[in-house]
Amino acid sequence: MRDMKSSFDWILRSAAVAAASLLACSVQAAAPGITGTGAAHVFDLTAAAGYTSQPDGASIYTWGYGCNTRPSSSEFVPAAVGGGFCTAGSMQLPGPTLVVHQGDTVTIRLHNNLPAAAGNTSILFPGFTMQAFASGNGVPGVLTQEVTHGSAVTYTFVADTAGTHSYYSGTQGDLQVEMGLYGALVVLPALNGGVPTGYAAYIAAARAAPTATAGLPDTCFALNGKRAGLLDDGDFRLAAAAYNHPETCYDREYLFQFSEMDSAIHRQAEAQANSAAGLGCIRQTGCLNVQTEPYHPEYFLINGRSMPDDMDSNYATQYPHQPYNGNPHMHPGEQMLIRVIGQGRMQHPFHEHANHVRILARDGNPLFTLPKNNLAGPLLFTTTTTPGMAFDGIFEYTGRNLNWDVYGHHKADANNAAVDPPCIADANGFNTGAAAVNQINYWEWCADHDKALEAHPFGNVGSGGPITLPDPNILANGPWYGGSPYLGFEATGRAVGGTPIPPSGTVANDPGSEAGFAYMWHSHNEREITTNNIFPGGMMMMLLVDPWNFSINEAN
Amino acid sequence: MSSTRFIWSGIAAALLGLLALPVAAQSFRVQCPNATALHPNRTTLVPASAANIAKYQALVGGSSNQAIKDTAYATVFPGKIKCQQLSGGDGFATMGDGSQMYLFAFGPLSGLSNIVHGLPGTVTNTEFNQSNVGTPNTTITDADGHSQPIGADGVLDAVKIGAPYSPDYSFNGAIGLVPDTSDAKVGSVTLLLDPTTDLPVAGSGYSANEQVVFTGGGGSGATGHITARGTGGSIGYTLSSDGATATAAIAIDNPGSGYTSPPTVSFGGGGSGAQPRAALVASNSLTGHVDERLVMDVGVLNGSFSAPTIAIDEDDELFLTLTNVGMVMRPDLFEQHTVHFHGYPNASSFYDGVPDASVAINIGGSFTYYYLAPEAGTYMWHCHISPPEHLQMGMVGQIYVRPRQDVATSLSLYQQDVADQADLSRKCSATDILCSVQLPPANTVARVPGQKYAFDDGDGSTAYDVEYPIQMHGFDPNFHFVGMTFNPESFADNKDKYFLLNGRTYPDTIHAGPMSTQGPDGVERFSQPLSTIINIPLGGKALLRFSDLNVTEMHTLASLGIRMHVIGNNARLLRDQDGNNTDYYTNSITLGGGESIDVILDASDVATYTANSKFYLYTPQLDHLSNDAENFGGMMTEVNILNCTPANFNANTKQCNP
Repeated sequence: MRDMKSSFDWILRSAAVAAASLLACSVQAAAPGITGTGAAHVFDLTAAAGYTSQPDGASIYTWGYGCNTRPSSSEFVPAAVGGGFCTAGSMQLPGPTLVVHQGDTVTIRLHNNLPAAAGNTSILFPGFTMQAFASGNGVPGVLTQEVTHGSAVTYTFVADTAGTHSYYSGTQGDLQVEMGLYGALVVLPALNGGVPTGYAAYIAAARAAPTATAGLPDTCFALNGKRAGLLDDGDFRLAAAAYNHPETCYDREYLFQFSEMDSAIHRQAEAQANSAAGLGCIRQTGCLNVQTEPYHPEYFLINGRSMPDDMDSNYATQYPHQPYNGNPHMHPGEQMLIRVIGQGRMQHPFHEHANHVRILARDGNPLFTLPKNNLAGPLLFTTTTTPGMAFDGIFEYTGRNLNWDVYGHHKADANNAAVDPPCIADANGFNTGAAAVNQINYWEWCADHDKALEAHPFGNVGSGGPITLPDPNILANGPWYGGSPYLGFEATGRAVGGTPIPPSGTVANDPGSEAGFAYMWHSHNEREITTNNIFPGGMMMMLLVDPWNFSINEAN
Repeated sequence: MSSTRFIWSGIAAALLGLLALPVAAQSFRVQCPNATALHPNRTTLVPASAANIAKYQALVGGSSNQAIKDTAYATVFPGKIKCQQLSGGDGFATMGDGSQMYLFAFGPLSGLSNIVHGLPGTVTNTEFNQSNVGTPNTTITDADGHSQPIGADGVLDAVKIGAPYSPDYSFNGAIGLVPDTSDAKVGSVTLLLDPTTDLPVAGSGYSANEQVVFTGGGGSGATGHITARGTGGSIGYTLSSDGATATAAIAIDNPGSGYTSPPTVSFGGGGSGAQPRAALVASNSLTGHVDERLVMDVGVLNGSFSAPTIAIDEDDELFLTLTNVGMVMRPDLFEQHTVHFHGYPNASSFYDGVPDASVAINIGGSFTYYYLAPEAGTYMWHCHISPPEHLQMGMVGQIYVRPRQDVATSLSLYQQDVADQADLSRKCSATDILCSVQLPPANTVARVPGQKYAFDDGDGSTAYDVEYPIQMHGFDPNFHFVGMTFNPESFADNKDKYFLLNGRTYPDTIHAGPMSTQGPDGVERFSQPLSTIINIPLGGKALLRFSDLNVTEMHTLASLGIRMHVIGNNARLLRDQDGNNTDYYTNSITLGGGESIDVILDASDVATYTANSKFYLYTPQLDHLSNDAENFGGMMTEVNILNCTPANFNANTKQCNP
């Protein structure tokens, strides 16, 4: 009886912590960028040298695109993220994410502030047709118009293809792209009243089943105004949909740019650029003689950062030249748009733990069926990025068909809604029909409701399941272990009672306030989840699937 | 006299058992229940849900016909309980140039007979739950009908150091599983002796044949009744010759199970005054208790490469036990291991095997992963501890799930697919963006009894005659040398020099049986059990389940001669949301680490693919056709068209029937 009481005390305490965390929690992700200035969508960019940092302490000489003048605060999107910076004259890795709308005429003015020894530079926008360059606007290069040291060039094009695209240097690519001259261009689709054409009919058809008031991901919620269940989550999307298609609606979005770095190249470039010969260089082809082969990268980057730096927030002040992170969070049933670009020269098989990804489009070209216009892209648990290629995909997690209640509920509490909220299945079997959206088990797979996992009860978690859990003393707990097999701090509190575990050093997924399901998303060329030969590091991040009573706030 | 001694020794055993009771005292164990809610006891239906019992009874309709009951059971409780035990430790493998590679590796600790014969090691609970001990110098018949000799030490000969190194090895049970001496049941009831008279306190007024009730003690199920009474309705008893023990005249009708202390004894009806005490004896049932010595005898250095193959069917429940036996070649390491079921849809992080996000299994510990079989497809599994190290060192294996479409019912393939849409757990809704088995266009493709399919396609488009799991991998011998010799490892410059199919380089790939390597203890063990020789019956179709867990680079594999028909990718049927198949033909496939692809080699054109003809699978990355310094080897194998039709072909032995 005393144990029971203390465990309830602990639950109450954890609930208080959780309530506090709703206010304080800041997980900070999304896919932030800048929109350009005015109706002409002018981006005033620079190409410059700077230093980027690595978790092993290295500070690496890097070239990158950045803002030549600081955009006004209204040009940072999504507005809800806040804290955005793009320091005037400062490079960043990757370059600023340029966010425009389909059909916009986009103007990019690029200033070449690279070291004189670099010679000319430029930007390629693969998939888009540049308007003719007037005489005096840059100098002709092999692939595009280039800009000489200290000068500027203007690129103008119509963003006629929606989706995720890359941009990168079209000059001495083996060196300049390796040095960091790349970034992302996101073209938001032309929608119809804020939602894709045909969305209302799509929703109506999907909800035609007799009992379904919901039963499908309630994305594109601009139609209905802000979704009640988003608590204080806010809207961190750039748009309602990735394409003008109802099935490309999404709830959250993340942009991942993959690249690798051979620091020996960067060291050579730094030394030569700062040598007397380099400083006095006046050749358009530059004066660098950097060996770019054989290629031995030892840093493997997502959005210019290595794990664990990539899980710090967007615009974190400790990374003044690496503003973008990789730290996805979501609730069960939400649809997450992932925008992925291969920016380096190698292929990276990126493995999404927990579920498949439906590929929507490649380089902004949607994969739809003809003539019905449904999804035709493959379902992949490993999405390989290849150099220069971008894809959009939708990921979802529900916990369906596990054959145990991930919320740790059990039959003895079936009539006690305070402890065990009921699961009322919609047409697809999920708890969206009648449940409040901030309910612990919103979107639960109802077929498994109250099904015990464990053969023996533990805390207020029922017995009768198939599995006997081992003595925790023979196991090692990870820093993202939620402390029990169950999803969410409330369930974990009931399962482990007054003995919150894990007792590991760093708790990155607090058993008392979050206890999400954590999944490693990483390159499956496993040598790439290292930083300069140290594991763990490199191309790795943790996805957290949090229960609906945990607010995912992506603001800074 | 002798019976008294028996009772005493029974009590002593029970007391010893009680001392050993704390669960933490044993960290090696296996789990493989004989009944679950989805697969209950066939007779009692325990522990099925009330709803499923009602469904079953409605189908049986009161009939006593066993065939009707079996059909009803299979309808309401499809699939089986499947179990497998793996060791996590180390071992050695042999490359095509004769050099030995040190491995961090998983090895088989159940289903060893299957593994030795090139089959998946996954077995049913009946095969898994077999005791490793018995009466010395006798023979028992195991669950597969094989005769298993028992040595003078009372242990099956099959569970001895080096025993699995035999092409005739036939034991599929869990290694180490022995009767549980700590799982107690009620053995007898004694009466307390009066301290002054030394006579049993037998009470009075009890009815004949009165029910005896046992309560508490941590267990359940024990029942009994009074068999004899003394004067005045007292409880009858037998006094031992030394007068120290009074055994009550009580028959134990059901000894119960799971007692951790003697339950309280009481009686129904009238009567009072007796002071009965229950005495426990070890039940010796198979509860998952293992003898660590047997696990270590077989498990140490038994790592294999590829790791033991796991195969399950949709609707199965898989109880996968990982037992960390340690790496005897690296006593400086305290490496944990895990199992990551790569690609499992909607995985819980708890059973996802990522040590950062869950638990990891220390040396000397066992952990049982629980999975309801996911959608059919070719997945893979591997250790997720320090993946760049443990995967390069060899802790990679294959796992695939066969579709329920394989199981014959009265419906056609398409009708079955339509019927499945009524079941939410099988439904592929139009709004489910992650579902690939969309309903195909209506068709009348007949169900062929016994036909195998790769997916629940509903149109027969993924039919095949024989399946071959093929895992691509690469070894960097420098890294393996460093891995064995206590040196710091580097990852960025990993350069594979051996290019492997199922852990073998050509020409070992076309060696038909298991390959062995001698360990540093002088014992031969099967190190690479899985052949990659592709035998296809005349006019038949082979399903090649390719997976890749290379940690350094992508692999391309080409087919010379027979086109590759790609039907699945990443464990999903190639089909769009309109139900159109998006399969394609090619002569080469490219995979990166963590990808899988399903290919059918269709030899049904017998005019082209004639009996006894030979074709090749090989990598067009020509530098990968080498075994380190040898320049002819690597990632290559043979495809043979046999001289027998699919009807006369044995899909297990991959040979024509004699």
